[in-house]
Amino acid sequence: MRGFWVMLKKELRMFFVSPVAFVVLALVMVLNGFAFRAALAILESAPSEGSIVTWTFQPQWFWLSYFFVFPLLTMRSFAEERRLGTFETLFTAPVRAWQVVAAKFMAAWLIYALLWLPSFINFRIAHWVTAGMVELPAGTMGGSYIILMAMGMFNLAMGVFASSLTRNQIVAAILSFTLSLTHFMLGVFVMVIGRKLSDSIVDIVAYFASAEHIRIFTSGLIDTRPLIYYTSLTLLFLSFTHQVVEFRRWKP
Amino acid sequence: MIDVHKLTKQYAGRTAVDGISFKVEPGEIVGFLGPNGAGKTTTMRILSGFMPATSGSAYVAGFDVFRDSLKVRSAVGYMPEMAPLYVDMKVKEYLRFRAELKGLSGRVMRHRVGEVMELCGITDVRRRLIDNLSKGYRQRVALADALVHDPKLLILDEPTNGLDPVQIRQVRELLRELRSRHTVLLSTHILHEVEQACDRVVMLHRGSILANDTPKNLSAQLKTSSLVRVELESTDREVVAKLEKIAGVRKCNEEASNGEPWRYLVLRVEPGFEVREEVQLLASSAGWRLRELHRELPSLEDVFVELASAAETIRGGLS
Repeated sequence: MRGFWVMLKKELRMFFVSPVAFVVLALVMVLNGFAFRAALAILESAPSEGSIVTWTFQPQWFWLSYFFVFPLLTMRSFAEERRLGTFETLFTAPVRAWQVVAAKFMAAWLIYALLWLPSFINFRIAHWVTAGMVELPAGTMGGSYIILMAMGMFNLAMGVFASSLTRNQIVAAILSFTLSLTHFMLGVFVMVIGRKLSDSIVDIVAYFASAEHIRIFTSGLIDTRPLIYYTSLTLLFLSFTHQVVEFRRWKP
Repeated sequence: MIDVHKLTKQYAGRTAVDGISFKVEPGEIVGFLGPNGAGKTTTMRILSGFMPATSGSAYVAGFDVFRDSLKVRSAVGYMPEMAPLYVDMKVKEYLRFRAELKGLSGRVMRHRVGEVMELCGITDVRRRLIDNLSKGYRQRVALADALVHDPKLLILDEPTNGLDPVQIRQVRELLRELRSRHTVLLSTHILHEVEQACDRVVMLHRGSILANDTPKNLSAQLKTSSLVRVELESTDREVVAKLEKIAGVRKCNEEASNGEPWRYLVLRVEPGFEVREEVQLLASSAGWRLRELHRELPSLEDVFVELASAAETIRGGLS
């Protein structure tokens, strides 16, 4: 485990040494600010069913940041090691491949978690300024952050995998973006078409429709099925990454 | 320290290392010598646990490089070609990270990092970003990284590549200091360097070992002729003819003399002959004034060229 902690410390540090973490944080804060402003406008204009949390995490502002964050956070992870040639120094040190993969993924996930902190502060401030008029139901808050972390975990794992395939960060970013977008679109398209064909397709597709997951969780319903879905896919992509990193050891 | 037996590494359709066997004893400095693509880097990568061999076995410090990869990596300090480093880290930060990764911690780690920075002469740049360092400093940072966990075996791939002559001399001196504590395996394609720094030379060519001996023995074994340089003053036109009559002199060439009384001659001598005394006797009996008489042993370069062309001939004969 020592190798994991040492790598994690280094990876986290590197995020803040390079401007990546700050750029992503700024981007997400701006887009979240718009989303929050839009949610306030909705609540202001008319009585509404959902809480401010529901309205913040559902509009297009949220989905805009969703697709940019993952490539930006993960494109460097392995591509940079290959480009610099440090892949060789790294794997001639007494450290196991899974420790490196886990540390790089975990570092990205922790930075990702940090990105949602401003939104949490926004909610608390709104609650405090309006003397509790803006309600923050526990289920909605909990559900929102749980699904954000679960979806982030899965997309970051795909991003780390994409980065392990190439020495070019741009290629890694585009690949990661494509994978995230494809997964999302698969859910949306089939949902839209599915309603016209049959309801059973909708039931199946609901398992991997991210937009649907967000809708359910931000209304305060915590469903274990999406959580298991995202966790198992994360492990799958991390094991792919491990195989790619260890490729030189078993290739013919 | 190293025990390699019939080691073979094949990449898709190409054999990089072809069944080589050699041993390295503790405390030796051994040089891998060969042109680019001879299999030096591949062998070193296998020995440092970076990738497995296709067949054959390799033991480092008593551990199998594939099965006990992590133990081997702990015992080896490996410096790859071109000294790859994390360019957006500072020198001390980088060395501390590497030391921790290699299992050092706390006060021991900090002390050891300070020690290797001192040893490699990078203490004054410890707060600089690696990106801003010159090639020479980067090379030394990479060397400090290889040394930081006090490994039994140092594997250095082209440690003087891209350095200026002063820096090359510094690296060579550093290697001499290290020999008391570490076994060193280094690779180079500069022959002069091996002659200067190594106890033993392993010559690689197209993935096979051509020779494995001390630099001196290799030169002595050489079948090609040695050279004797003579500078003398004489107006005798028969100088060249007279010198060529000495037993063992194959040929005598006179270099352009610009009309000066001093003449410069180069004798090509058959192997196994010593002609310097004869030249001196001849000069004194003929009344020539002699001011230089020098024998040049063949360099490793000559050895290498001869062995490589012999190997090519055998290969050609077989196919």
